[in-house]
Amino acid sequence: MLETVVQAVINGLLIGGIYALVSIGVTLIFGVVKIVNFAQGEFVMIGMYISFFLATYFGIDPLVSLVVTMPVLFVAGVLIQHFLISRVLGPNDMPQIFLTFALSLLLLNLALMLFTANYRTVHTSYSDEAIHLDGLYIPVAKLIAFVVAMILSGALWVFLHTTDLGKAMRAASQNRDVATLMGINPNRVFCVALGIALALAGAAGSLLMPFYSAYPFVGQVFVLMAFVAVVLGTLGNVMGALVASLMMGVAESLGIQYVGADSGLLVVFAMLLLTLAFKPNGLGGGRAR
Amino acid sequence: VQNINKWSVLSVTALAAVLIVLPLVVKSSFAIDIFIRILLFSFLGVAWNLMGGYAKQLSLGHVAYFGLGAYTSTIMQVDFGISPWIGMIAGGVVAMLASLPIGWLCFRLRGPYFTIATIATAQALMLIFLKFRDFAWGAEGTTIPNLGNAPLMMQFDVKSSYYYVVLGLLALGLAVTYRIENSWMGYYLVAIGEDEDAAEAIGVNAPSMKRNIYMISAFLTALAGTFYIQYIYFIDPPTAFNFNISIEAALVSIVGGIGTLWGPVIGTILLETTSTLLQSWLGSSIAGLQLTIYSLILMAVILWRPTGLIGVVTEAYQRYVQRRTARA
Repeated sequence: MLETVVQAVINGLLIGGIYALVSIGVTLIFGVVKIVNFAQGEFVMIGMYISFFLATYFGIDPLVSLVVTMPVLFVAGVLIQHFLISRVLGPNDMPQIFLTFALSLLLLNLALMLFTANYRTVHTSYSDEAIHLDGLYIPVAKLIAFVVAMILSGALWVFLHTTDLGKAMRAASQNRDVATLMGINPNRVFCVALGIALALAGAAGSLLMPFYSAYPFVGQVFVLMAFVAVVLGTLGNVMGALVASLMMGVAESLGIQYVGADSGLLVVFAMLLLTLAFKPNGLGGGRAR
Repeated sequence: VQNINKWSVLSVTALAAVLIVLPLVVKSSFAIDIFIRILLFSFLGVAWNLMGGYAKQLSLGHVAYFGLGAYTSTIMQVDFGISPWIGMIAGGVVAMLASLPIGWLCFRLRGPYFTIATIATAQALMLIFLKFRDFAWGAEGTTIPNLGNAPLMMQFDVKSSYYYVVLGLLALGLAVTYRIENSWMGYYLVAIGEDEDAAEAIGVNAPSMKRNIYMISAFLTALAGTFYIQYIYFIDPPTAFNFNISIEAALVSIVGGIGTLWGPVIGTILLETTSTLLQSWLGSSIAGLQLTIYSLILMAVILWRPTGLIGVVTEAYQRYVQRRTARA
């Protein structure tokens, strides 16, 4: 009995690490640029396809392909901010919501046209490996993904707290006008925020590839999870998003264990609705938007 | 100004006449089918636009009400033999009531997070209908018993009759929008859409306004749900709660012109015509092509004409009227 609970919690934490990479990206963009990137999940999908093709045609291990997906998506983020998002920033929410939403639709349907709806998997030497520990079962691929996700999150935290650029980003997220007055170039900060957020999404894609199938709609699963985690962890708060993502992973996993295999999403929605009803500003309180 | 008004009345009358005569002239059932799609999505856009366009509450979860309307009338018809005409109104009322708790939750968030909350509630509703099979046929869905030509049960043997039903719905939606646009409520809604805090500061009761317009919008959306299911004779959760319906309702309004009476209609005509032409040109439908094109159009409109294409149309119309009146 206790063992099943612990096992479910472990499964949840492991996948929660991936959710964290996606939701940290969403919350970083929201904090700094003040927009919600509806297309964040599609960048996970792109990361997965890049890793899939590198593995299939060049035999490159998905974990190694991190060094490709992250820079590629970083550049994509900078370009998207510079050429698209910067044109719709303003007091009105409509253009930015529907621009990123259109981007999501576009990428998803392009993937559908180019790669079809087929599920693509990569089989690595460690895909089926697992560590057995006191009757507990820890899949190696998921463990690696979790550890790398935590390292990347930690690196981001260090970046935000110790480098000038990172501090500038935090300043811009706290008060954009004052930050601009202090000589921070908002456009540069926004470009870096988008770049980092997309690089994290790409990393999530590569890390998923050894144990998860790539298909055009795959991003939707992760982005919904991320949106809930970002509300739960207080909008714009990186640490909050990380903790909330791990919680979401555990909640989903317990839901699958005790309510039914297809009820993971239902648990997620229930959590979102409960959060909205009782803690609309997130678990940490903080300021509402 | 008087001339423009006179011309508007004339144009609308002419348009109505053309639309009423259209199925008598065009006999191709393929064409009628496209007209029905255009009218249906125009109507959905009009219903969405009341809340999304005027009050700028950008919902991407309107399919929740579409599905509730569809299920209410279908359950009443299949299980109790009640006419979908009554079921349609009942569905509207159910949707209105459902919009209260959903709105209560979602309106706690603003801007993009309101949008996400609406997506989540619609998805949650679909999951509920998928899971509870003894309540409403679960994932299998059900077919609507075909009674042949039974106008009292909203079933017809000719497609043109469906055309007139959905034309009537669109006329209703436009009439409601016209009434609201020219009332205090319309001005309040626009004020909320521009700046909610400022609107509240000058005494607009924003929560109550948003709740009311959400109820009206939900009611109208539910009517479309009943019609659609009657038209295709089949219901299951992925059909009745299809996310693409939420997307298209918003899309046609934004492309046409958000917060304008005719915007959703113009947007639907453009998008549906494009997708039909494209499909007949390619000869077959390629998965993802339609939404790829739609999303490109949406991006182009947002980047270059965020007020929608209605501006292009009205400018051309005004030039035409001015030329005509100057000559006369």
